[in-house]
Amino acid sequence: MVPVSSYMLLAAGMFSMGLYGVLTRKNVLGILLSVELMANAVNVNLVAIGRSLGDGRGEAFALFAIALTVAEVVVGLAIVIFLHRSRRSIDVDQAASMHG
Amino acid sequence: MKSQALLLLVVVLPALCAGVTGLIPYVRRRGMLAGTLSSLTVLATLVMSLVLLGRANGGEKVIVNVQWMPEAGKTLAEFGLRLDGISAPMLVVVSLVAAMVQIYSLSYLHEEPSESLGRYFTWHSLFVFSMQALVVSTNLMQLFGAWELVGLCSYLLIGYWWAKPSAGKAAVKAFWVNKFGDAAFLIAIILFHAQYKTWDIDALENQVRVTPPGALVVLLLFMGVMSKSAQFPLHVWLPDAMEGPTPVSALLHAATMVAAGVYLLVRFFPVFAANADALTVIMYIGIFTALFAALTATVQTDVKKVLAYSTCSQLGYMVAAVGAGGKLAAYFHLTTHAFFKALLFLAAGSIIHGVHSNELPAMGGLWKKMKLTTVLFGIGVLAIAGIPGFSGFFSKDLVLEQLEHHTVVWVVGLLTAGLTAYYMGKAFVLAFAGEARSDGAAHAHESGLLMTGPMVLLAVLAVVAGFFANPFARLTHLAEPGFHLTTTGILALVLALGGLGAAWLFHGPRAKDPAAVPGFLAPVDALVKAGLVDRFYEWSYRVVMLGLAKIIGWVDRYLVDGVMNLFGWVALEGGAALRVVQTGRAPDYVFAVVVGLVALMAWGYVGG
Amino acid sequence: MSWLPMVPFALLASALLACAWCVVTSDDLVHSVLWLALTLVVTAGVYVQLQAEFIAAVQVLLYAGGVAVLMIFAVLLTKRLTGERIPHESGNRVRAALASLSVFGLLTAFILRMPASYAQPAQRSATKVLGERFLVDYALPFEVLSVLLVATMIGAIVIARKEDA
Repeated sequence: MVPVSSYMLLAAGMFSMGLYGVLTRKNVLGILLSVELMANAVNVNLVAIGRSLGDGRGEAFALFAIALTVAEVVVGLAIVIFLHRSRRSIDVDQAASMHG
Repeated sequence: MKSQALLLLVVVLPALCAGVTGLIPYVRRRGMLAGTLSSLTVLATLVMSLVLLGRANGGEKVIVNVQWMPEAGKTLAEFGLRLDGISAPMLVVVSLVAAMVQIYSLSYLHEEPSESLGRYFTWHSLFVFSMQALVVSTNLMQLFGAWELVGLCSYLLIGYWWAKPSAGKAAVKAFWVNKFGDAAFLIAIILFHAQYKTWDIDALENQVRVTPPGALVVLLLFMGVMSKSAQFPLHVWLPDAMEGPTPVSALLHAATMVAAGVYLLVRFFPVFAANADALTVIMYIGIFTALFAALTATVQTDVKKVLAYSTCSQLGYMVAAVGAGGKLAAYFHLTTHAFFKALLFLAAGSIIHGVHSNELPAMGGLWKKMKLTTVLFGIGVLAIAGIPGFSGFFSKDLVLEQLEHHTVVWVVGLLTAGLTAYYMGKAFVLAFAGEARSDGAAHAHESGLLMTGPMVLLAVLAVVAGFFANPFARLTHLAEPGFHLTTTGILALVLALGGLGAAWLFHGPRAKDPAAVPGFLAPVDALVKAGLVDRFYEWSYRVVMLGLAKIIGWVDRYLVDGVMNLFGWVALEGGAALRVVQTGRAPDYVFAVVVGLVALMAWGYVGG
Repeated sequence: MSWLPMVPFALLASALLACAWCVVTSDDLVHSVLWLALTLVVTAGVYVQLQAEFIAAVQVLLYAGGVAVLMIFAVLLTKRLTGERIPHESGNRVRAALASLSVFGLLTAFILRMPASYAQPAQRSATKVLGERFLVDYALPFEVLSVLLVATMIGAIVIARKEDA
């Protein structure tokens, strides 16, 4: 049998890579992809722990999380398109309008 | 009805009435309607109080405590009602005098604008509520709240004619002097709680028997009594309070509110008695006030001022009696004094109503115009002078007997009794005997039934209340009075008769100048005119208060403001320094979030 | 032999991490998206190994199918609008590597401190258990989720539509 901690280590690795992507990518779409990676890692965790508990709760949450991620991707992409149309760029470094 | 419900109604009904008359504009703008409503309410309160007194007389005791927002065995505050031998008579005195005074006011103030009258009766109802709440309190916080409310009502009613500058000043003065005492009172309450961990009066009284409180705490508590019951040197507000309408003086500043201090002394007697030194101080302050105020009263020309100083003096008697350990004597004198002093004030109001002047030298010969008022005022004078058969005789003798063991105090007490008879006799003779000395006095007229009715009832009580001493003692479980003709009684009687005789001699119709101050009182007159006490307060205000204010002003300007400016500078500079961090670039913010996450996780790893 | 079941897991795990690495480092945005799709499919394989077949199916259908297609669509759309290659280089790698490595290290520390546990062999069909969960315990959140999806759809249309439309 494979211990649950192995799955969790795998998820931790994927999560950290996603984090690395979020921090290095300068492009909004790239950041979105990395966030997807992180969400996927969380799902792996949920399913693995849910299986070890054996009552279906973890899987249920994973399914909720997948649906929510889809919703998030849809909104995120809409924002990307909106940004692109209004600024002709999706580079976050140029989108420094938050600077007070 | 059950006693608990009656007790609650006695307290709540006047509050409801104050709410109705104060908040519903229709009622407030119709003064007579508000007055009728208020009078009926307080009459209902009176009936219920009498029922309660009967039950208390039958030995019934009720203590109800309600917790406010209880949680996990603790409570924010407690409210309680208490019926016992001490609270029941006071409930009756308050509602009885209040009822008489309100009915009297309906006629006495009928020329006032309707709207001000609505205000007047609202304050009156509020006062009855606060006073009853004070009387039935079971814990110190409730008592203090009611105590403050009573002070507020006093302020509002003294300042009833607020358009008059003197009335406004008098109201503020009363408020400040009372606040001064109340601050000490509050500190005392907090110190008591710190020492005994309870607000409950019964629990407190049980605990002081085990561990007596310090003299300082007891005297701080007594400061509250001093300001409310106008004891020297905190008596200065009471004569000025006469700026209020005369019925207000009768109710608040003669019968009930100023008696609240004495009531507190009686209620807390175990606490005061637990410290013998404090009790002695209380006795000396009381007897000094009695003498001082009586001397001052002899040279007053304003009839209300005479009565005001007389009230001070009588309250001094009560306080001295408590100080000598005679709380029954004090409480009994409180009830009889409430009746005859309210009567005297109402009768004085009747005179003022007829003559349109407060000045005794401007009166004279009124017995021809106002026969009923003459008789009623006369009964009041005989009662306060302590002539046998009238209530004052019994209660004053009881007080003086308590003082027998302290020779100096006893002698001063007797002397004061003589002085009391003298100045009251003087006021009576000046007002009613001889010939009219002014146009107002010549055209005076008797007052209407609404005014004389309450006075007659109070006069009856002023005569017969003295015979209730024995049931009163049994009721209050204080001590049995023994009535027998003692040296004290005979001496007091002789001095009282002497005082009345002197009044007739110096101020009667045969005197050369009835209104003049007799030679032997000239130094007193000079001293009173000098107004030493008020001057002392003025001086202390100028030197102590303004000096203190300057110091505090300096501290505020340079220390407090300096610290504040430092904070402001730090915030501004820190903001400027941190501004660099705010790049406005999203990845930097994400990085900050990650750093926070790492820190949290590290903390969780090490701590968990 | 206790290490035998570890072999397929190790294979899947290394493939997954390799794909993920390519997602975050690939120079071309289109390649990144394709790597992501592959990552998601491999994740479905992990789910199968965990005996969570239903989730694996959802993963392939919804994620690898729907999301990946949507992303490619978005990438191509922005490319068409700008008419040039989208810059996809990365900056400040050292800072990012430090941060993500410390997160990984801490996560690993936490996981290693945990008591060992194993996935329970499915007595009943895991899908059946899951269905009961959804329609009994989580019926309300399930319905709320459908409302959320509708709201998302409307919101996306409102944000992305042309201003003059």
